[in-house]
Amino acid sequence: MLGKMIGKVALERTLGKFLEDDSHLVLGFEEKGKEVGHRIFKNDLKGFTLVNPFFSANGALYLRRLFSKGAEIILMLRPCEIRAYHELVKLNQIEAEKIVAVSIDCAGASSLKDPGKPRTACQSCREKRGVIGDAGIRFDAKGVPWLLPYTEKGEEFTRLIEGEAEEIPPFPDKEERGTEKFSTNMEAFSEELAHCIMCRNCKAMCPVCYCIDCVFNGDEYLPKGDALLNKVFRSGSLEMPQGKELFHMIRMFHVSQVCVGCGACEEACPQGIPLTKYFKGVSERLQSMFSYMSGRSLEEEIPYLSFQEDELKDAED
Amino acid sequence: MTEEKEKNPEIVGFACSFCTFKASEMAGSLRMKYPDGIKLIQVPCSSRVDPAFVIKAILDGADGAFVAGCHPGDCHFIKGNYFTRRKIAALKEMFDAFSMKDKLRLFWVSAAEARRFVEKVTAMYGDIKEKKNAG
Amino acid sequence: MRTGIFICHCGHNIKHTVDVKKVSRFFKDFPTVVVSEDYPFVCSEPGQDMIEEAIKKHGLDRVLIASCTPSLHGELFKDLLKKSNLNPFLLRRVGIREHCSWVGDDPGPNTEKAIKLIKAGLYASAHYVPLEEKKVDVVKSALIIGGGVSGLSAALFLSRMGMKVYLVEKADHLGGHVGALKNIWPAREDGKSAVIDPMVSELGIMENVEIFTSTTLSAFEGFFGNYQATLNTPGGVKTVVAGGVIVAVGFSPFDPRLKPELNYGRDDRIMTTLEFEERKEGLSKDPRVAILHCVGSRDEQVNKPYCSRVCCINALRAANAIKVRHPDAYVESFYMDMRAHPKGGEEFFEETQELGVLFTRSNIGEIIPSSGGLLLRGEDTLLGETFEREFDYAVLSTGMSSPEDSKLISSLLKVTLDKDKFFLEAHIKLRPFDTAVKGIFIAGTCSGPKDMEESINHGRASALKLFGFLNLGYAFVDPFISWVDPKRCSGCRMCEQACVAKAIKYDEQKRIAHVEEAACMGCGLCNATCPSSSISLKGHMDSAIDDEIGAMIEGQSLVASL
Repeated sequence: MLGKMIGKVALERTLGKFLEDDSHLVLGFEEKGKEVGHRIFKNDLKGFTLVNPFFSANGALYLRRLFSKGAEIILMLRPCEIRAYHELVKLNQIEAEKIVAVSIDCAGASSLKDPGKPRTACQSCREKRGVIGDAGIRFDAKGVPWLLPYTEKGEEFTRLIEGEAEEIPPFPDKEERGTEKFSTNMEAFSEELAHCIMCRNCKAMCPVCYCIDCVFNGDEYLPKGDALLNKVFRSGSLEMPQGKELFHMIRMFHVSQVCVGCGACEEACPQGIPLTKYFKGVSERLQSMFSYMSGRSLEEEIPYLSFQEDELKDAED
Repeated sequence: MTEEKEKNPEIVGFACSFCTFKASEMAGSLRMKYPDGIKLIQVPCSSRVDPAFVIKAILDGADGAFVAGCHPGDCHFIKGNYFTRRKIAALKEMFDAFSMKDKLRLFWVSAAEARRFVEKVTAMYGDIKEKKNAG
Repeated sequence: MRTGIFICHCGHNIKHTVDVKKVSRFFKDFPTVVVSEDYPFVCSEPGQDMIEEAIKKHGLDRVLIASCTPSLHGELFKDLLKKSNLNPFLLRRVGIREHCSWVGDDPGPNTEKAIKLIKAGLYASAHYVPLEEKKVDVVKSALIIGGGVSGLSAALFLSRMGMKVYLVEKADHLGGHVGALKNIWPAREDGKSAVIDPMVSELGIMENVEIFTSTTLSAFEGFFGNYQATLNTPGGVKTVVAGGVIVAVGFSPFDPRLKPELNYGRDDRIMTTLEFEERKEGLSKDPRVAILHCVGSRDEQVNKPYCSRVCCINALRAANAIKVRHPDAYVESFYMDMRAHPKGGEEFFEETQELGVLFTRSNIGEIIPSSGGLLLRGEDTLLGETFEREFDYAVLSTGMSSPEDSKLISSLLKVTLDKDKFFLEAHIKLRPFDTAVKGIFIAGTCSGPKDMEESINHGRASALKLFGFLNLGYAFVDPFISWVDPKRCSGCRMCEQACVAKAIKYDEQKRIAHVEEAACMGCGLCNATCPSSSISLKGHMDSAIDDEIGAMIEGQSLVASL
């Protein structure tokens, strides 16, 4: 495979040139003193960095319901962010026509809550390599970045960078982690949810929880006000809906095929509930049933939307 | 010492109008017997069953739930039950992750299979009752 | 909300295991329940009058009837609501007979179950909204699949009533099994000239009948009133549009080779009744003939537990014919039970006995051919003894098996087969001609063994029912179709991808989905697929189903016990 070795200067020069057009944008990371965070760069690339040692939110979150026809955007994000972006494209929440998605090799990040310590999600990450999207930035053994095109759009972007494409070197890929099936029980789950305050921040910060109006806003599962009173009047007894477990488990099923396991939910939880292990653990199990990996490609169909006539023989009791 | 009363499970079943619900009607007409803990909710097609219903049923206290529809390939709505199969199989996997796989079953029972319906629900009831009373 | 609950005793049927008084008392305290009554027969005229009066008197806005299963008397109670100026979709039926009183014996738990089921119905009905029935045009034409005696009689009836008929037959001629019979009972004529020819010639002069022979059905879609069937005709593929369908694909004769111990097919002295009829050469002088009943009927070993109804008469015809032609023949009939049930059958049995045919109640184990004859081994079930007897010929009266095309036709038409692979009636007694699919009827032996007379009547009856449906020219279909809440839809197009009927379209401008009502089948798959439930199936809303679940398991939360 061919790729281009790119120094920081060459890359920044190319992106800088791209940004000369007013309708062009780059979504990437910005270094501000000790902090690193997301930024949409317009016109100039001041503070741009390829690597972000902290995870605060999944960048795809900022792209939800992005239908802007004019703007051309280059995404320079982590693989988990590009994967979430892919899922949102599949779910028709992003118009991808003018977007070039570049995934960058990720070494894992630490939480802003606990700097220096690797996050649960990153420790059990399924795809840290920049092999997702239109192009990827991979670091070779000496830490030199390479730009690898994966799609037509990626090729076009690669051409913007000066220099000839050359054969790529082997990259120091870490060994795949053994995939042990996640398993827990309701008692443990309920105990960990004991501190949940139902702020639903996990939902708000989840990049793939895309519904404009969440089903939990309605009266179906968590009735409030008159709907709750109606229920009481109908049955003559007061029984509060089983909020926390119901909310988290239904949300878990809703995102099961699209969850990229980025751990943004856990990051957003003010109560420090270890949500990643549940959401990531369950979604990985559910996705592997259909040999699906969320965000791996734009072509793969979300499993619940299709079927094969001859499959899942064991499902029947 | 007082002998503890036997606990009887409550099982909620989602039955498709065209197959399983018809089979249950036939089971009734034939005066077949099955436990009173089995209660059916009629849905137009097994594909109408939102996995959220099942989650809610279990969390709200059903000892078990089952989704039952036409045999694959026989769906009155042409392909509905293939989607059911994917979703409910995934939901079963999720239940397995929470160590409660035994609470959810998926059956295919055609309109003619009253006996099969009774056998399936009775077996499920028996297994769940055994677990419930074991401690 | 003003709900009226009416609990039916169904005479003794519900009352004997459900304490109906307790149930009706229980619901009297509910704040939304205005009336809660039990009554011996809610479906009777006085029962209906009671409901009608209650609606008027108490201004009910929900009616809940707890009685037999919802699929029975559905229209009756809907009409009752219409008559009382109440939208018929504010009716809730709860089955406490088929789903409660008949399936449990203990009045205690049964009463509790009835209460929970009714409560579930009550909670669900609170979410009901008035719906408008959809009126659709019905094409006045019928597709009849199968040109045997029942298909022909159905076709004749419909064409005489002025209905356009498409008659499809896979063989190159009409008439089916009856056309092949040489000696139909009791007329002693051949089936073709006595029964089939008059029907076919009358059909031939009807202008509104199109007959397709050597034709098979290859695709089928659409809904009641407007079905499109693709036919593979010798002249190429042709599509016909029909308002309704009658399936009359008949049966397949049981193949006695499936019982290898009878050695059928290995010796031409062993034949079926039909082959015996068609046999050109005569029998030997003073022949010894064994007649075997129930070959491929009432036989669990070959998976045919049912009685085929025609084989006793067929066996008697064969025995009778031999004795008439060869008065000195030794004819012994081996039967399980004599079921000569058609009119005159019993007399024919006696007549045959008087001719000197011997009848032995028995099970035949095997037929062993040798050069000298056929050795029959069996058990006399009256004496409880085994026997061996020598014969020159053996005639097998074979039963009816399900039609070989049943699987194919049932999957094309989406109608159900029963456990023996015959087509399943919507209700064995009350709707014996209907399938579960509206506008698709069954006629003749494809729904189970019948004799010729029954098949002809069955064909006419199905035709009459279909005629009643078609002749109106329109039909009401349940308004259970999906609806998108435009304010909530995220436009993810998941419903569109999943929809089998392709009834969901995406609005590029508004970035939301919408439902093409005419195409929606009402399965609810979209509703279950949409994570925000922004698309919902009318009449089966999430909120109603949720409350139904809640009612059934009220007060025993898993989470609370953790």
